[in-house]
Amino acid sequence: MTILESRAVTKSYAVGKELIKVLDDITLNIEEGEFAVVKGESGSGKSTLLTILSGLDRPDQGRVLIEQRDITDLDEDTLAPLRNATFGFVFQSFHLVPSLTARENVMFPAELRGDPSARDKAEALLHRVGLAGRMTSFPHQLSGGEKQRCAICRALINAPRLIFADEPTGNLDSVNGEAILQLLLELQRERNTTLLMVTHSQKIARHADRVITLRDGRIV
Amino acid sequence: MLNFRFIGRQITAAKRQGAVFVLCVALSMITLVSLGSFNRSVNASLLRDAQSLHAGDIIVRSHAPLPAQVEAEIGRLAASRQLVAARYWDFYTVAQKTNGSGSLLCDLKVVEPGYPFYGKVVLASGHPFHQVLTQGYVIAEQTFLDRLGLRLGDRVRIGKATLTVRDVLVQEPDRPVNFFALGPRVFVSARDLSGLGLLGLGSRADYVTLAKVSDRGDLDRIAAQLKRAAGDSRIRVETYQNADSRVKRFFDNLLFFLNLSGIFTLLLSGFGIQSTLFALLKEQERTVAVMKAVGARSRFIIGHYFAVALILGFLGSLAGLLASLALQLILPRLFSGLIPAQVTLTVSGWAVLEGLLIGLLVVLLFTALPLYRLKEVKPRAILGKEEHQKLWTRATWLIAGSGTLFFLLLVLIRLQDAKTGLYFMLALAVLILVSYLLATGTLRYLRGRQPGNLAVRQALKGLFRPRNATRSIMVTLSAALAVIFAITLLEKNLDASFVESFPPGAPNVFFIDIQPAQKGDFARTLGVQGDYFPVIRGTVSAINGTPIDPEKERQARGDNLAREFNLTYRDTLLPDERMVSGRTLFRPDWSVPQVSVLDTVIKMRKMAVGDTLTFRIQGIPVEARISSIRTRTSGGITPYFYFVFQPAVLADAPQTFFCAARLDKSSIGAIQDRIVKRFPNVSVIDLTEAVTVFGRIMARLSTIVRFFTSFSIVAGILIVVSSVFATRYARIQEAVYFTMLGARRRFVVTVFAVENLLIGLISGAIALIISQLASLVICREKLEMDYNPYPLESLTLLAATVLLVMCVGMGASMGILRQKPVVFLREQGDE
Repeated sequence: MTILESRAVTKSYAVGKELIKVLDDITLNIEEGEFAVVKGESGSGKSTLLTILSGLDRPDQGRVLIEQRDITDLDEDTLAPLRNATFGFVFQSFHLVPSLTARENVMFPAELRGDPSARDKAEALLHRVGLAGRMTSFPHQLSGGEKQRCAICRALINAPRLIFADEPTGNLDSVNGEAILQLLLELQRERNTTLLMVTHSQKIARHADRVITLRDGRIV
Repeated sequence: MLNFRFIGRQITAAKRQGAVFVLCVALSMITLVSLGSFNRSVNASLLRDAQSLHAGDIIVRSHAPLPAQVEAEIGRLAASRQLVAARYWDFYTVAQKTNGSGSLLCDLKVVEPGYPFYGKVVLASGHPFHQVLTQGYVIAEQTFLDRLGLRLGDRVRIGKATLTVRDVLVQEPDRPVNFFALGPRVFVSARDLSGLGLLGLGSRADYVTLAKVSDRGDLDRIAAQLKRAAGDSRIRVETYQNADSRVKRFFDNLLFFLNLSGIFTLLLSGFGIQSTLFALLKEQERTVAVMKAVGARSRFIIGHYFAVALILGFLGSLAGLLASLALQLILPRLFSGLIPAQVTLTVSGWAVLEGLLIGLLVVLLFTALPLYRLKEVKPRAILGKEEHQKLWTRATWLIAGSGTLFFLLLVLIRLQDAKTGLYFMLALAVLILVSYLLATGTLRYLRGRQPGNLAVRQALKGLFRPRNATRSIMVTLSAALAVIFAITLLEKNLDASFVESFPPGAPNVFFIDIQPAQKGDFARTLGVQGDYFPVIRGTVSAINGTPIDPEKERQARGDNLAREFNLTYRDTLLPDERMVSGRTLFRPDWSVPQVSVLDTVIKMRKMAVGDTLTFRIQGIPVEARISSIRTRTSGGITPYFYFVFQPAVLADAPQTFFCAARLDKSSIGAIQDRIVKRFPNVSVIDLTEAVTVFGRIMARLSTIVRFFTSFSIVAGILIVVSSVFATRYARIQEAVYFTMLGARRRFVVTVFAVENLLIGLISGAIALIISQLASLVICREKLEMDYNPYPLESLTLLAATVLLVMCVGMGASMGILRQKPVVFLREQGDE
């Protein structure tokens, strides 16, 4: 079953007076439970595609559908609960809230839903990724690998159907990067979550069920 | 060598912080410069018009007829044509309509021909004053006519005389401001003085002789001659050059207080400058680290940022100067009725120079610490590692110490009163320290709290966001608000004490100058029970044999021993008095004359039971030993006397009686008419009228004070804005992450709103605690009156504070809330 679909998505940015087309007529389907990788060189438009597919940005043209529901024209307040319940995000720069501890960061999406067991779930996840001893640490007190594990827990706490990961190992050394990738894949399989990952790493792409290659904003 | 392009880029890159910096500098000087300019304008006008403000070259004032030797000296000098003299008598009395249907307390001025030697009495008709004011006529202010329902040509009874109202007074030269008068001015010719029959022995009146010297070069010599003739009597001989007008005294006192407020604003703005620069430089930390990494020295970097601060400071000084000029347009309206009409407000070159100097000094004083800390930025900050820098090093102590010393000097120079300056600095330090401790304690308590509501919890976390100047905001705001709140609470308490209410049974009408022979008849005519107090006018001439120096005494800011006092005698305490020293009012074991003094006198000069005071009563010295010290147990308007003698000492002295009575408000007019008709020499003071005048003055003064103190609130607001700008990145980051994780816009807005609400609530609560305590102490200890905390009004002030902080905080955060998550995330990705 198709969980995510883009139909002829186009996106341009103005740089000075010039209009640069970043995505050009992108049509793709992502199936439920699939691990798909969007690969491409720097500037090929892969991160832009991820932000549009996840509803963080809008396409200039084309449509985006999540579980057959068109989200292209939804306003922010309608998209917010959808992102909260259906999506999880993992970024290269971690994007943890600096004023919250590791546990609070993980709990946050569940608390937004009003989940009374947010704390228990967060602690269980942190245990699972080996951060039981770092629950009350603030992001600046964590290493890169720990931050990313914390971000993965946060992405998973609401048991999302779809995880968007943007270069999740980009800021990590090879050992940590490999460990994070394995963790992400393990959790994805455990929970039968769909994983859409943006990377330029050939090594990661080898693990994927499907590889979508972008060049100059087009799928090749 | 400075790189001007770099300096320019730094200024344009930090536009928001730069704007707050400029505003803080402008704010720091606006009050002091505008007040300085205003003060100079008032003084220049008063000096320029000094002769007309006193209506003569030499002014001889007394509270009794001049001694014969002084009269003789004036006569001799007049005969030898060295001067011409004119007398006038100034006192309150009650004027009555001839049909007895209305009466009014008025400020009577009985003048001899020649008055005024300088300046002009302006009449509505435009006719010359001396031609209009002839025997049998009066000239009165329009309000006199309006309140008695009279028209020009109508007749009015004043004392024993019936006179015709001939013209309307528009302006008199030696009373440029009539804001403080209890009744309208009425001019009477001296030829009618004896016919009035109002001045008896011991009557309360100012006896003034004005002199115009023939040769200005002889002014000081003639004044000295008259002073010699006056001897050690309490007669004041002054020249127009050294006479201290009431208007000038009033302005000196008011401006002194407003200067305190200006210095307070300067200090708070200084904190604003400092925190803004800290935030601005924090944003540039990585740039600084890069510069250091490629070999730039600290001196080079500090030099460039100092140039940035100087340019912004210069812009702020210019803005402050322009605002001060603009304020000169508002001040006449603010002070309307309080400043003489002849005062023209101008801005002098000196004020401009002073403004620029203050601006420069403020920039130097408050930028030193943030600039110095640039020295401590290490090249490794390039990697984005936050380094915990030690806040207090020897250098930072030195900078802070020099700053404090410099600020103290500024205070002393500005106030020109070392004792008050030091007290002011101490009070400031206590205010800031208490605000700091309360803010720190509250924040420490909140840090560990975990409220159930997610938005409230996130807002609480936001208070401790890195770079958030939460504590600085709270300290600045609460210190500024505490002053404003305290002024409001004091004003309310004074209103309640003097204006709004008289306690049940307390007297509300005073009758003064009742002659001893009239007392019995007066009591019968009054028809209600009244309290009668004998009054003997006298002065204190020595304490324990050491003579009082009247000139030195008059320099005191408050009450002083140089003035004339109302003395009385009795052998019991009043119901609202109690002893604070001594067991009984008078000591039965002492055979010498005794006097009991009120504790207010002790505040003027140190004295104790057993000391000897020398009084002059009708020119006769009377020595009395202090037998006890009393205090008042109520702050209401009830009669009280500083000096109470044994009856045996003063019973035979020339005296009048003072009566205090409680009258039904509706009957006051009729009783006043009845009393004045039968006893024209008796003045009736309706306290409800007097407190209305007092209330009017209080309201105007508190408006002025609040106007100037509100600038310190603006300083607090600028710090709130500065803090929002300083944490802009962190706030956008939070907003974006919350949105990305599925939070609705309403949630983000709620988090920011609750954060601002907490800041406003805590700052307001701290301000309220401090102001309540300060007002309580001032009311009880200084003003000696009951204190009402006004809980409802206090809560209103608190609510207003919260609203203000929320509006400012949310207003400054609007741009942050509009930020698109994807733009921020892309920028992060680019890094």
